[in-house]
Amino acid sequence: MNGFNEFVSAREIWQVPLTASILAGALLGALGVFVVLRRTVFVSAALTQLSTVGLVLALLVHERLRIESESTSSQLVVAIAFSVAGALVLGAFRSRRLPAEAAVGGVWVAASALVVLGVSRLLVHEAHDLGGMVFGNAVAVPLPDLVVIGGVALLCLVLHALFAKELAFVSFDPETALALGMNVSFWDGLLFLTIGLAIPVTARALGALPVFAFLTLPAGAALLARARFRSAFLVAAILGMVAAGGGYVLSWIWELPTGATMVALAGLLLLPGAMVKRG
Amino acid sequence: MPALITLQDAAVGYHGKPLLSGVNFEVQEGDFLAVVGPNGGGKTTIVRTALGALPLLSGRRGGRRPLRIGYVPQRDHVDAIWPFRAGEVVLMGRVPLLGPIRRPGLGDREATRRAMARVRIEHLHDHAYGDLSGGQRQRTLIARALAADPELLVLDEPTNGMDPAAELATMDLLRELHAGGALSVVMVSHRLENVANYARTLAFVDKDQRLFRVGRLEEMLRPEALSALYGRHVAVRELEGRRLVYPTNGTGRRGVAP
Repeated sequence: MNGFNEFVSAREIWQVPLTASILAGALLGALGVFVVLRRTVFVSAALTQLSTVGLVLALLVHERLRIESESTSSQLVVAIAFSVAGALVLGAFRSRRLPAEAAVGGVWVAASALVVLGVSRLLVHEAHDLGGMVFGNAVAVPLPDLVVIGGVALLCLVLHALFAKELAFVSFDPETALALGMNVSFWDGLLFLTIGLAIPVTARALGALPVFAFLTLPAGAALLARARFRSAFLVAAILGMVAAGGGYVLSWIWELPTGATMVALAGLLLLPGAMVKRG
Repeated sequence: MPALITLQDAAVGYHGKPLLSGVNFEVQEGDFLAVVGPNGGGKTTIVRTALGALPLLSGRRGGRRPLRIGYVPQRDHVDAIWPFRAGEVVLMGRVPLLGPIRRPGLGDREATRRAMARVRIEHLHDHAYGDLSGGQRQRTLIARALAADPELLVLDEPTNGMDPAAELATMDLLRELHAGGALSVVMVSHRLENVANYARTLAFVDKDQRLFRVGRLEEMLRPEALSALYGRHVAVRELEGRRLVYPTNGTGRRGVAP
């Protein structure tokens, strides 16, 4: 109980980061339903690396050309630009001549190499800053980052509520949607725009691994538990909140790495659904 | 009365490369057109181009506008992992009619119920689509197409992978839907014997032979037309009111472009 009492008494420290974690868990959990059902889970890993390329580029520009790009907002804009561009290319307008996983793998490995090359040219203290930005630090999320996550979550909620039936139809059966005159590229683009926005803003707070986990595990748990399509979004969002919030609290109490604790808890949430029998 | 869909001197294909050129055909109101040919022969490409889902490389595309179309894709192209109920899948047929933002209302749900009743799967409304048999999934996809109250029903290989009983039941259902007179049908199939008892018009398609030939069923079932498609002698016999189409050991002329 001592650890829990310490946690409660430190409320001023964890209020913002815990809220950001829970909000990010809900947002990524819900978006994950599309990510999992469309069989594009590794897109999120590639997009996280792409947004990192954007961050490295911003830091290099600042360092070498003395152009102001070190502020949090400008770095975030660059990361979002890279992520959204990648989301549209990998998710919505992908080549028909290359299997999707080959394109995703290619982008991931190329972006990873660019990150390593870019970091090797950065000064030490900026490379250290980058580590914080890439791998997240949910223990200390500044208020502006929480506001950005809230804004992106609200935008995603509105877009998905307004266009739920179009996004579902073109994702489930793009061939028929196209034959009936629907603009499949537009709706795919809109869906991956929301995913491309969510990844960099949540990755700044949580880190790459938890973002990948929250786009996959809560939705997987909801689908394993035989949730219907519409309720899967709610179930996955709640599971994402439980994993993010619970992981944060447990990591504080047990003095564990925050992101890894969140991911481990999200993994445990798969178990109840895995035990549900088909019927 | 203008044709529902037409292609005139059309070249169809992908990425600017034509698979077939000089394609001419039209679908009249009340018609039942079967597009037959080998797998990968260009059948689906022609039909999807006629619908406007693929760009026309050259020639003209025409027909009635607006035209309410119901489309049934190959069953295997629809991922059964999605946790939709059969009723939700059928309701999707109303999405293009509703336009963005508007949500399905009571009228749409009633149209869904009517469409499921037409193909006799009302009882499957709350069943998971992924748990249905192949024949039930096919009927669900047909019901989805009917939910839009279409003038033209287009089906891509609707009996692919079915056992003979399910295949016969599906084809009988299509005949029943077509018999009302308000619904025209275009069906893609790689098996001629599958459609020879149902279609009014046949189109033979094979891009490898540069073959596109279309005509009334009776003229297309003549030996010379069949030889053009199959490259060997093919016989047609009637047995207990059903046409049987089968290859024989005789040799036939390899088909040439018309």
